[in-house]
Formats: sequence, structure tokens, C-alpha cells
Amino acid sequence: MAVRPLQPKNSGVMHRTKRVQRAIGVAGFRQARRWRRRLDFWYLWERRWFLIALLIGALMLRMPTPEGLTTEALTVLAMSTVATILFITEPVPLPTVALLIIVGQVFLLGIQSTDVARSLMTDSVLFIMGSLMLAVAVIKQKLDKRIAWLIVRMTGTRTSSIAFGITFVSGVLASFIGEHTVAAMMLPVGITLITLTSGNPKEVRNLAAVLLFSISYGCSIASIGTPSGGARNAIMIGYWKEFFFDPTNAETRKFLVDYLDWMLHAYPMFLIQIPFVTFILLRTFRPEYRDLSRAVVKLRAQVDAQGAMKLTDWLAIVIFLFVLYGWVAHSSDFGLGTIAIMGAACFLITGLVQWEDFNSGVNWGVVLLYAAAISLGVQMKDTGAAAWVAESFLEMLRSVGADEGIALWAAVSGLTTAVTNTMSNGAAVAVLGPIMLKLATVAEESPLLIGFITSISSSFAYLTVVGTPACTIVYASGYLKTTDFLKVGWKMVVMSTIVTLLLAALYWPLIGI
Amino acid sequence: MREDGPTSDRFRILVCIDGSDESYRGLRYAVKLGGGVDADIVMVYVRPIDQGLRSGGLQIRVARENMLDWGLELPGIQVLKKGWEILRETELIGDDWTEESVHTDVAGDPLGDNKIDFSNKLGRKIVLKLKVATDVTTGILEQWEIGEYDLIILGASSTRRSAARSLIDPSIAEKVALNAPCSVLVARGLEVGHGHLICTDGSERALETIDRDIYLASRCNCAVSLISVSPDVESQPQSLSFLEAARSHTTDTGVKLEDVLNPVGDAVEEIIEAGANYSVIVVSDSSRSGVEEFLMGSVTKSIVRKAHNSVLVMR
Repeated sequence: MAVRPLQPKNSGVMHRTKRVQRAIGVAGFRQARRWRRRLDFWYLWERRWFLIALLIGALMLRMPTPEGLTTEALTVLAMSTVATILFITEPVPLPTVALLIIVGQVFLLGIQSTDVARSLMTDSVLFIMGSLMLAVAVIKQKLDKRIAWLIVRMTGTRTSSIAFGITFVSGVLASFIGEHTVAAMMLPVGITLITLTSGNPKEVRNLAAVLLFSISYGCSIASIGTPSGGARNAIMIGYWKEFFFDPTNAETRKFLVDYLDWMLHAYPMFLIQIPFVTFILLRTFRPEYRDLSRAVVKLRAQVDAQGAMKLTDWLAIVIFLFVLYGWVAHSSDFGLGTIAIMGAACFLITGLVQWEDFNSGVNWGVVLLYAAAISLGVQMKDTGAAAWVAESFLEMLRSVGADEGIALWAAVSGLTTAVTNTMSNGAAVAVLGPIMLKLATVAEESPLLIGFITSISSSFAYLTVVGTPACTIVYASGYLKTTDFLKVGWKMVVMSTIVTLLLAALYWPLIGI
Repeated sequence: MREDGPTSDRFRILVCIDGSDESYRGLRYAVKLGGGVDADIVMVYVRPIDQGLRSGGLQIRVARENMLDWGLELPGIQVLKKGWEILRETELIGDDWTEESVHTDVAGDPLGDNKIDFSNKLGRKIVLKLKVATDVTTGILEQWEIGEYDLIILGASSTRRSAARSLIDPSIAEKVALNAPCSVLVARGLEVGHGHLICTDGSERALETIDRDIYLASRCNCAVSLISVSPDVESQPQSLSFLEAARSHTTDTGVKLEDVLNPVGDAVEEIIEAGANYSVIVVSDSSRSGVEEFLMGSVTKSIVRKAHNSVLVMR
């Protein structure tokens, strides 16, 4: 029996479609369809957080000014709330938030446009910009295979030793050249070891998790080791200077934290965590292969094919060591930012990298975003909004007996961890920094101690893909699931929080906080 | 000519694959549907565009380029290769097919869209495409705009979402099923050979759905069954008349009519329970507007979300 000739393209709906197409032309029809879709309820629904954020901001501006808060402070709080919601939910491209902060400062706070523009560029922002350019320059030198070979030479072929080696080497490098740089360099190393072990991803599921998390968590725990480890460290250094340093008061010089000061406080934290990271990863994922000899032999063949180190390789290393020396020895004189920019200029002058590489490799929107967030943070302080929120938060903590000592530190760490897991950690410190530093003042705690806890805790973004740059980069490999981050992340959060609190209680008092 | 665009009135199937078993089952089903002589199959893997902001300011493209320098493949390549092996196993592609690789620049991503286009002398196409988009749903819907497909097949999410979560954050399959301008098959444990269960409520739209599904069933030699749920015993005669009208649409089509079901109860629950015995539950697209559907929900949406097996939303 023959099938009824029911070609779908000749059905009623298709006839209607064709009629519409004939009436308005194919291009017009497609345009109409596109508009219809854009106006579709679900598309509006996907932008809901933008509308909700604006609505909340408008309501805050219309509400009666709470006691102890000025109108300007309420406006800044409304802007910060809207920015935080947009940071977390990302209904619009994030640089849009930066643009809105700038516009808001002029129109809502009545600040002169020139003053707003001036507040955008600080040494911290210059440092973030320079570090990102250095990151691109370092990655372009293709030293990653040599680093990979160094790791396997140091550790042998046992999976657990390689995982430890990757965490250690990634960490040491990330503490100086930034976690995103090292994650980008080490990701191919991890994937190569995985693919050379087995071509079937399902057979190496746990091995992949162990090696890739060794990279990302190694970078994350190290990113607090030095100021150049992450943008948030530079942001906190900037806040200390902006909020507490008074050139006429010698007592306040301790708030000018330089590169070595920072390392002295934070580097031990990174070193202590390394063995715990490997232990947690191996216990959580139990890799399918205990030995990676086959993969290591093949990796060695790939590295051998590169030949000996070239002059340009050595030149890149020398420039970076020169920058590192500048940060350690002269950052208090010239600023971290100037030295980073100088390093980037050296890479350009020697021809090791082209401006186009910087242009395409650096996301300039991030620089703008941090600049605007820091500028808003300063407004939080200047208008008294940060102090008001800090007092309210402290009042809340007082009701549960957590307004001083370790309990307060744990509350600061917990709040920062919660926020940093939902947005970029630099943005978390930019938003929370002013509040936490004011909290320290109100609670009569050391702003340096609370600042360090805030900055360090912002690296505990182990639970989500978006939390840290390193997590985002290893996730791009396609080997990990978002649930893997939760499975192992909570253990990492517990471990890191305990180490931080122990450090704050036992080690920092010994070195003068 | 538009990229991937139709060259004739050939039936066009877009298979979205993500490496899950469900998506590969969907691909096999597409081969079955398009196994005749005149169907184009476009297999697409949508890779969300690399975003640099979350990487702390370094564009992920830098990491991506570094991976490519090491000779490592993009995540979707392995998935497409497996899909390709499935196509080869079915002997769909012969030696006389020509192959062409095409790259299209996409703003914001250095690697852009890449595809391999296989075609035979009759103009039939099999396309493997690695596409970038801001998100997977947008990528799939954009691909429809490029090619104007008759049917989209995609795997259901492995985790079932609650009604509340689905309202706030619907799964990709739900979003595509409800927003795509063409019919969408959400594959969930899809097995050929158990026939299609077509739902009817007597409406013009439901009768059109029957006609269209009979066409699809004829392509894969599947039997069809009909179901109309009565909310109570009193309305059973009306449902029976709907089924009678539906039955008349199946006569003389060459497609075997297997069962005619008229359960009493909640439409969604009864259809899901009865549908478990079939390969695919076939439902009409909801006639409600986006706002109405959001506020009141729809049978179609509930079935897509709750069904234990595959659901075909017919448009």
C-alpha cells in the first residue's frame, strides 16, 4: 500500500510560511522571525536578572534613608547591589557593568566626569594590565613542554608523584606569574599525559580529574602567595593604601604592603596546602592508572623534538627574572604596576611578542571592570556606605557571638568564600574589600589581618567553574563536569579554611600582625 | 547560497550531539528516518564561545591556541568523530561522496565554526559541524536559521528537573523543544521498533500532527498508535470521536495502526504512563503564547519534562 504523499514542506504550515516569505521576501521573513524570537518571552526571561537588578536598585534609591546612612551612601549601596547581582548572574556582558558604574557615578552621585576618570586608573589597575600582558608574553614563549619534562624528571612515573609534581610546579610558577598564565601553559601538559595514557576518555575519567585538578587547584592555592599571583592581591594592596595610609603619620606605613611583605604572610599558606591537595584529589577520584610510564616516554619524545633551549627562550626567562627582581626589590619605590608595564615593554622591544598578541590575548574588558569596581569601592569608603554595612554585619555577628577573634575571622572567610564561588575572585575582593576593612576597624581588629583573610579566602573558589581563572581554563578541556568541582571542592574549602585560621592564629602574630 | 542551506525540498534533520549516549541514539534514529534517498543529516556539536572574563583577564583563546599547538583537539572533535563512525557503520555514505571542509569566522572566537560537508551526485548532504555560540541553545536555534530544518533531534538531560527549577532554569532540551520553529525530537532511551504514540485532543493542530507523524513513521517503518485522554468518564464519548477522526487519517497510508487508547485521568500522567511502551510520544506544539505558557504551563511542556522516554514535539 502506498504511503500518502505527505511531504512536510507541502503541508499547511509550510504553505503559510511560503506565503509569508513571498509577501515580505525571504530576507524580510528571516528578519521578522529573528525579531519575533528576540521579543519572545523566554528571551526576555533570560534577561530577567538585569531587570530585577535595575528594579532592586530603583527601589533602594526610593526607600527612606536608613539611620546612620547618608543619601550618597545609599546611592553607592544601591549601585554596589546592582553591580553584585550583575557580576553573579551575568545577564549582560560584564564590561557593561563597568560602564554602568562609571555612568552611575556621574549621574547618580554627581561626581565630575574628570574625577571619575581619574579614579579609574590606579597602580593596582596598571599592575593588573601589565600582569596580563606578561602572561600572554610568557605563554607565547612555549616553555610548557620543557616544564612538563622537568616535572616528570623530578617525580618519576607514578601517578601520585606526578600529581604532586604538577601541583607543586604549577603552584610555584603561578605564585609569581599568575594562575591564568600557568593554567593555560599546563593544561596541554595534563591533557597530553591523559590522551597518551588512553585514547578513550571514559577509561581515564578519574586520572583526568586528578591531573587537571592538580593544575587548577595548584594554581589556585598558589595565587595568594605573592601580589603577582592574582589581581585580587593587587586590589587589596591598593585598598590598604587608599583607606589607611596617611603620609603624615609614620604609624600608617605598615599599610604600604610590598611584594616581600605579602610573601612573608601568604607564601607559607601555599606551601602547607600542597600535600593536602594531592591527598584530597587521590582519595576523591582514585585514578585508573597508578603508573604513567607509557605516557611519559611519549611525552619525552615530543620534548626531544623541540631541541635545545634557544637564545629567545633564555631571553624571555631573563626578562621575567628581571621583572620579578623589580617587584621584590623596588615595588615600594616604583609601584608594582610600573614594573609590570616595564616588563611588558621589554618583551615588545625584544620582539619576543607582538602588540597584536597582547591585543588579542588580554581581555581588556576585565581591566575596565576591575578599574570601575575599585573606583566604586573607594566611593563605598568615602560616602560611609562601607562602614554602615560593616557595622550592620558586625551587629549580626554579635548576636551569634562571632564578633571577635577566630569566630569573626571564620565569618569573614566564610562570607568571602561564598561570594567568590559565584563571581570572579577579583570582583569579589573589589566588592567585599572596603566592607571587610571597615569591619576590621569597627571590630577593632587589624585591617591587615582581615584584609589578608579576605584576599586569601577569595581563592577558595573550588566549587564552581567560574570561581577562579584556573578552574575555568581546565574546564575548557572538556574532560571535567561541573559536578566534579562540587565533589572535590567542598573538601578543599574545609582544608583551606582550617589552614588559614591556623595561620592567622599561630603564624601571623609571630611576624607582627 | 546560504551555508548549510537547503538545496532542494529535501527533508532535513539536524542532530545535536554532545557525547552522551542519548545523543548518539538520536543520531541512529536520524539515520533510520533519513535512510531513504532524500534526507540531509547535519550533525552539530555546539561549543560555548570561550569567555575571557572568567579567566581573570586572559582570553581563554590563549589557552586554546596553546592546546592546538600541542596537537590536542577541541572538545567537540572526538564527539563528532564518534558520530562519524556511527554513520560509517550504517553505510550511509558511499565511496562516490565528495568531501569539503569549510571554516567560517565567528566574532569573538578565533577558531570559529568548522564543518565537513559530504555530498553525493544527487545533492544529498551529510554535514559534521563544530559550531560556537554564546550558549548551546542559541547555537542550535541559530543553526536552524541557517538551514531551516524539518526536524531537530537532541538528547534529553541526564538529570530530571523539578517543575520549579524547570520554570526558572529550563534544560537545553526543553528550551529547544519550546522555542524551535520546527519539530523537535527529545531523545531519551530512544529505541527503534516500539512505534509512535500520537496524542490527540481532536483539534486541527492535532490532526495535522497525525499527518506529519505518519510521514515520519513511514520513513522508519514504524507502527503508530493513538491516544486521547478523557478527563472524566462523561467526556469519554467525545474522546472516542476524536480518536475516530484521528483513525481516519491513518487509513490508506501504509503505516500500521497498532493501538487506540482512551484512558481516563490526568492527561500528562496518562500519556506518560502509556507512552512508556513506545519508542516515541508524539505531541502537538502548544498553541499558547509564551506568556500564557509560562503562567499556566502546557501539556506539551510537562510531557517533555516528565516523560520516561522520547518525545517528539510536532510543528
